[in-house]
Amino acid sequence: MAIATKIIPQAGKPMQSQQQEEARMLEGSHILCEALIREGVELMYGYPGGAIMPFYDALTSYPSLHHVLTRHEQGAAHAADGYTRATGKVGVCVATSGPGATNLVTGLATSFMDSTPLVAITGQVGRVFIGRDAFQETDVIGVTQPVTKHNFLVRSASEIAAVVHEAFYIARSGRPGPVLIDIPKDVQFEKAEYRPSDYVTSEEYLQSQKENAPQPEEHLLKQAAALIAQAQRPVIMAGHGVILANAYAELSAFAEKTTVPVITTLLGLSAFPETHPLYLGMPGMHGPAHVNRAIGASDLIIGIGMRFDDRVTGNIKSFATGAKLIHIDIDPSEMHKMKLADVPIVSDAKVALEALTETVDPADKSAWLQEIRAWQACGHEKLQVMQHDERQPDPTCILKAIREATQGEAIIVTDVGQHQMWTARHYTWTRPNSHITSGGLGTMGFALPAAMGVKMGKPDDIVWVVAGDGGIQMNIQELATLQQEGVTLKIAIMNNGYLGMVRQWQQFFHSRNYSETPITGPNYVKLADAYGFTGMRVTKREEVGAAVKRAMEIAGTVIIDFVIEREANVYPMVAPGKAITEMIEATAEESE
Amino acid sequence: MTVTVERFGCSDAAHGAARVHTIIIFVQERPGAVDRIVGVLRRRRAQMQTLVLARTEEPEVVRFTMTVNDAEVSIENLVEQLRRIVDVQQVVSLTEEQAVARELALVKVESTVANYNEILDTAHLFGAHTIDITPKTVTFEVMGSEEHVEKCIAALQKYGIRELARSGRVALARSTGDE
Repeated sequence: MAIATKIIPQAGKPMQSQQQEEARMLEGSHILCEALIREGVELMYGYPGGAIMPFYDALTSYPSLHHVLTRHEQGAAHAADGYTRATGKVGVCVATSGPGATNLVTGLATSFMDSTPLVAITGQVGRVFIGRDAFQETDVIGVTQPVTKHNFLVRSASEIAAVVHEAFYIARSGRPGPVLIDIPKDVQFEKAEYRPSDYVTSEEYLQSQKENAPQPEEHLLKQAAALIAQAQRPVIMAGHGVILANAYAELSAFAEKTTVPVITTLLGLSAFPETHPLYLGMPGMHGPAHVNRAIGASDLIIGIGMRFDDRVTGNIKSFATGAKLIHIDIDPSEMHKMKLADVPIVSDAKVALEALTETVDPADKSAWLQEIRAWQACGHEKLQVMQHDERQPDPTCILKAIREATQGEAIIVTDVGQHQMWTARHYTWTRPNSHITSGGLGTMGFALPAAMGVKMGKPDDIVWVVAGDGGIQMNIQELATLQQEGVTLKIAIMNNGYLGMVRQWQQFFHSRNYSETPITGPNYVKLADAYGFTGMRVTKREEVGAAVKRAMEIAGTVIIDFVIEREANVYPMVAPGKAITEMIEATAEESE
Repeated sequence: MTVTVERFGCSDAAHGAARVHTIIIFVQERPGAVDRIVGVLRRRRAQMQTLVLARTEEPEVVRFTMTVNDAEVSIENLVEQLRRIVDVQQVVSLTEEQAVARELALVKVESTVANYNEILDTAHLFGAHTIDITPKTVTFEVMGSEEHVEKCIAALQKYGIRELARSGRVALARSTGDE
């Protein structure tokens, strides 16, 4: 019988006050601002409107809260998401009721799928109007329920502070995720007593929890160690959980002690240095052949902070059929969801890896690694993008130029599509958390606003956007936000005049019926100029390096329009529904 | 031999492993809490058979009782999915042996002067109480295990059932005696 009592979070709950501080009568909107400041919020992205106006009115009284006016609420949600992915701090976005709130939904869903801590604040129509189809009324609690970790409808101003702290706690604790707070307009105006010391902040509560945080169970660690000792062909599959837990050193230590080869999922890229001798690559639909072959032949998978997404496993029935599974994840509902775990360890990746490294005996699995390296070397794998015209910029050489010009120290934010897979595959990730992308939801239009959040969270770092000509146009309005905020990004557009990934699928699975995939765009040089940025258009391969170098020398934002071959493909590829060991590779005809 | 169960939960749950489980959920009553539970059941495609919700002995806590027919491993996963909901305080999963379960049914049966006594005798065999009588119908309440309620309904079927309202299962964990 499975019985467990869940402890309702104490964050936000009134403390036993020492009565030192006088309670003040404040408007709800001011309580909201003060509670956000107590949560350490410095930056937020949003867009004002009717039902959130009291909050925007209060905002000018709190100069430490820097609000960035995006050009669309979706941009606000992605920017907050980019900010949190780069810094680990909670991203905050704000919108009004109705259309403002519904415009956040794609951003919330993106954050939810990739488990990033986000707090969204939305205005709602006044309490007496709720449920009466008022102007700009939408049931935001209902709409966002499946795409948030939790959401709150605030019923009175006296609840606001408690809800804010609880929301931050929920967003950050366990498996992180987005939390939405919906505040009716009249609640923002309503006055209530507020004494900050009455409320525990999420940080205080998380710290107090740390002391009695559950440790991975001893018997499970021993079982895992025994499986690792017995395994002849083990692989580590590391995911976003490693990055979220900041467990880079622990992952390296564990891999080195056991000499188990390391595979990183799309969101796990940059969790493990790719120059490391144990590093294999990315698995799944566009993973290199030797990685998928290694998974197919493995007798033990150690999955860490990853969830066996269908893009990773291909057909789950034929996925790693001979392998046992040690699954480490902080979310118990991930255990056995896709694949039965022989040893399920519900834990933070860092804590589990530390404990497991201590438990395991040093091992030598180098024979297995050599076997995989032989597959890799035998030429079976065609790494290059097949191009007909050698003179055109090649996606791999663009990525190589960016890496050379930044010494691998830049943070790369990608959009969704072919360029995303090329970047994942052909960029050598060595700096922890330098790869930011929308993995689970695959949200086109993510890169530009997210990169803005990344840059504002990490102002001293160089941030490159790599996007396709489809995705860049999806939230291109945020160029104006970059301009207004003086945020500097380097933007590389891989322009093939197609929605390339869809076109590639049409080529393979719909007999080249290129239905609605050809796409035009603006003159990006003129576009950049219109915003006061620098624009470049590169049509020759030999110009790529110089263009990237020049972009680095220019102080402001630069947009480079790389005109790449129209029908370049991402290879290899596993057809959807197929086993990952059955790959489509570049055909001889194409490589001619 | 394993087969894929094309639903939430483990893809390699053993074939034929489905059993009826009673899941009891205690939820803090806040805006959207009930929706969230039902939303998870829908999104994760739970094999739900009955669902009852009502207040508990504690104010602001709602008790869900539902029956789900699925493999143990899928039920475990569903329980963990439900535990992710912030408003959920506790989730208990009980097998048939571990649950004490009852159901209530209200049955309105067609009757005539000729068969009135026979209907009454039949119903009383199942411990049903008469709660309403009209010249053409008689309404009973019957309570017991689902099997008992179903047998009673089946026995009354031949007279013609005009309307039937079943409550769905409510359940408690069976005490072990050493509590």
